Amino acid sequence: MDKTKILVVDDNPTIRKGLSVRLRANGYEVLFAEDAISATAALITERPDLVLLDLGLPAGDGFVVMERLHKNDSLASIPVIVLTGRELAGNRDRALQAGATAFFQKPVEDSALLFAIRKALDVSRGELRFDE
Amino acid sequence: MTTSTQPVSSLPAYLSHELRNALCCIHQFGNILVDGLAGELTGEQREYVGIILENASKIRIVLNRALDGVLETPEKTTNKIEPVSKLET
Repeated sequence: MDKTKILVVDDNPTIRKGLSVRLRANGYEVLFAEDAISATAALITERPDLVLLDLGLPAGDGFVVMERLHKNDSLASIPVIVLTGRELAGNRDRALQAGATAFFQKPVEDSALLFAIRKALDVSRGELRFDE
Repeated sequence: MTTSTQPVSSLPAYLSHELRNALCCIHQFGNILVDGLAGELTGEQREYVGIILENASKIRIVLNRALDGVLETPEKTTNKIEPVSKLET
């Protein structure tokens, strides 16, 4: 069985590396994108199972990536978890309204992030409802 | 430091982005070390990384109170300048 693929979108290479170490240790395959353009390209070519998305990105931002994702019927069901350094005010509600499954402000507890990832994957595979 | 093309709207927003990213790196790699993902630590090494993480958590709490307090409820933290009457002599 193929490993679950997670696309990590963040312009900070150190954060990408830290997330990749943590996610790989938990059995996930990790793909990377560092801006909104490469994130969109990776969504189309790699079709990840989940996206871990920063909001402050070059060449667009996380909201642009979510908009593109949800406009594409074949990609729209991919769950997106936002992990950002941006302030809560304005961004949390906007991200959830834009279709994000969960919103975390950096730094996040690894256990909370991994739980949200597992839950989002279960929901997207139809193994769990959002309210469970 | 900011590489995003999006304009940073205010000093608190800029500080939130930059400080949270830096703190995230400390938190991520500290936990990677503690969890043994880069090899087992000695007891002493574990203690020292624990001190780093504990203090990073304190900074995070201060940051949450200071920045999100400012950004979410500006009316509570804005210094109002009131007219001051001259001292009576």
